[in-house]
Amino acid sequence: MSNSFITQPARVHAIWMSRRRVLDKLRQNRFLMNSKTIGAFLILVPIALLVTLAPLLPLQAPLETNLMAMMLPPSLEHPFGTDRMGRDIFSRSLEGVKVSLQVGLSVAALALVMGMLLGTLAGFFGGIIDRAVMVIVDIFMAFPSLLLAIGLIAIMGTGLVPVVMAIAIADIPRFIRLQRSLVLGLRTRAYIDAARTVQASQFWLMTRHIVPNSLAPMLVAASISAANAILVEASLSFLGLGIMPPAPSLGNLIREGQLYMEQAWWISTLPGVVILLIAISFHFLSDGIRQALDPRSRK
Amino acid sequence: MLAYSLKKLLQLVVTTIGVVTLVFFAMRLIPGDAAAAMAGDTLSGAALERLRDQMGLNDPLIVQFWTFVRSLLVLDLGRTLTTNLPVSDLIMSAAPITLLIAIATIILAIAIAIPLGTMAAFMAHKGHKTLDNMITGLAMIIDLMPSFWTALVFLLIFSLTLGWFPASGPISWDDPYTIVMRLALPILVLSLSQVAILARMTRTAVLEVLSEDYVRTARAMGWSELRVLFRHALKNAALPIVTVVGLSFGNLLNGTIIVEAIFTIPGVGTVLINGINSRDYQLVQVLMIFYAMLFVFINFATDILYRALDPRVKF
Repeated sequence: MSNSFITQPARVHAIWMSRRRVLDKLRQNRFLMNSKTIGAFLILVPIALLVTLAPLLPLQAPLETNLMAMMLPPSLEHPFGTDRMGRDIFSRSLEGVKVSLQVGLSVAALALVMGMLLGTLAGFFGGIIDRAVMVIVDIFMAFPSLLLAIGLIAIMGTGLVPVVMAIAIADIPRFIRLQRSLVLGLRTRAYIDAARTVQASQFWLMTRHIVPNSLAPMLVAASISAANAILVEASLSFLGLGIMPPAPSLGNLIREGQLYMEQAWWISTLPGVVILLIAISFHFLSDGIRQALDPRSRK
Repeated sequence: MLAYSLKKLLQLVVTTIGVVTLVFFAMRLIPGDAAAAMAGDTLSGAALERLRDQMGLNDPLIVQFWTFVRSLLVLDLGRTLTTNLPVSDLIMSAAPITLLIAIATIILAIAIAIPLGTMAAFMAHKGHKTLDNMITGLAMIIDLMPSFWTALVFLLIFSLTLGWFPASGPISWDDPYTIVMRLALPILVLSLSQVAILARMTRTAVLEVLSEDYVRTARAMGWSELRVLFRHALKNAALPIVTVVGLSFGNLLNGTIIVEAIFTIPGVGTVLINGINSRDYQLVQVLMIFYAMLFVFINFATDILYRALDPRVKF
């Protein structure tokens, strides 16, 4: 090994330089080197690790009951305590986090894609398409979001897929509106006119100019939407209109603990702290994206 | 102003028609139909057919739609499925409680948030970052706490442990004491997140005004800081605050559904959840429209108020 250092100094130097370049790139990355982003990852990475490694950890299975260990307060063996049927709240919370993250990410992705599509069409073409889309958007936005989700659940029934659909439908109008206003701002820019003069097609303009340039604010909105979706899912499950027991979700864990607040405070309160942590980390993430992309906040 | 109001009013009417149409047709999307969903496994064959007839589900769609619109217009909303009470009576008795919670929350939130936000802005302006950071950080955390969780923690601390407020019990309009005691915690819980949003907004608005030239001029004239704050900063911060109160009213309505469920308060939210659980779709569709109308009307009112408050907007 040491031989190569003597015989190939140039190569070593090249490797060293390339490594430094990578480090410099990292250091200059305004998204990753942002205190908000780092904060988000400091919360999200350990939680994601715990969720994925849960089957390997010495934890009771989420659905396993143990009548010898009912309503135990938090201890080393049961970090969040146990419930009325001796189930381990910690492993149930981890299972619930899985549901939360699934809901948050799918809703954000659905809302982002649908919002981009309809918002771009409405903003770019204007006229009758714009009118039609915006009338529908206005009607959907006449409902408070949780109420709209509750109404949709009443129609579609409970469960993971209906919950994701319901929250996404309640969220998409906001994305359409945002994308439309971004497109209206971009439409009259000089580079779009320039592309038009060289006979770029409408499709080319939308996919190569409009969409990439509106992606950044939409990603910020998507990150907030993920946090919001997690809170709405928890609210729905709490009301008994979301993920139904025995499958755990953070919301229905809190619902189950509600009856035993006096005897066992840990059943409801600790999963609530987990929801709060996840919601905060997604908000940090959105701040990180915003600060990285906002040229005015350049140091 | 009149032209603007009329335009907004027209929008209100269009949205209302849209909301009623959407709710009506969405409820026809229920797998099977409302009668089958309502009856579950209890009815079949001829009996189910009779229920369909009774509910008017065998009429042509356009006739059903007209019947529905007419029932909304004359406020004859039929009877509930489980208790056989007139739906309009049910809403009339539940709505005042929900409205009281919402209005009291807004008042309390404004009373707390504006001094707090102004203080944060003032501190930030003077370069005292610590207090400002503390207030804004706390506001973010409070805003993100799930309201049902905060409600449960409050219930645990103030009702179950300290015993200051009853966790359940009747609410009667003849006895204001029960109303105050039973509604205090829900209002407090709901106002927390409203305070968080409003305080942040006030901070931004006041901070912006504090760096304006006319504020510097006022200072140069030897005005005291407090006078500058009251005469200029707060007056100009009123506009964004009105907007935010209007916008967060939807969140507030969402919140009332949740706190009513937790504190067992017989408001509109409780009626809605019961309606869904007993599959009373005719009740659910009326309540959806009720909430949407309330929300739309508040937005209309804020739009008008905003224009009325801002002398710079020309018509």
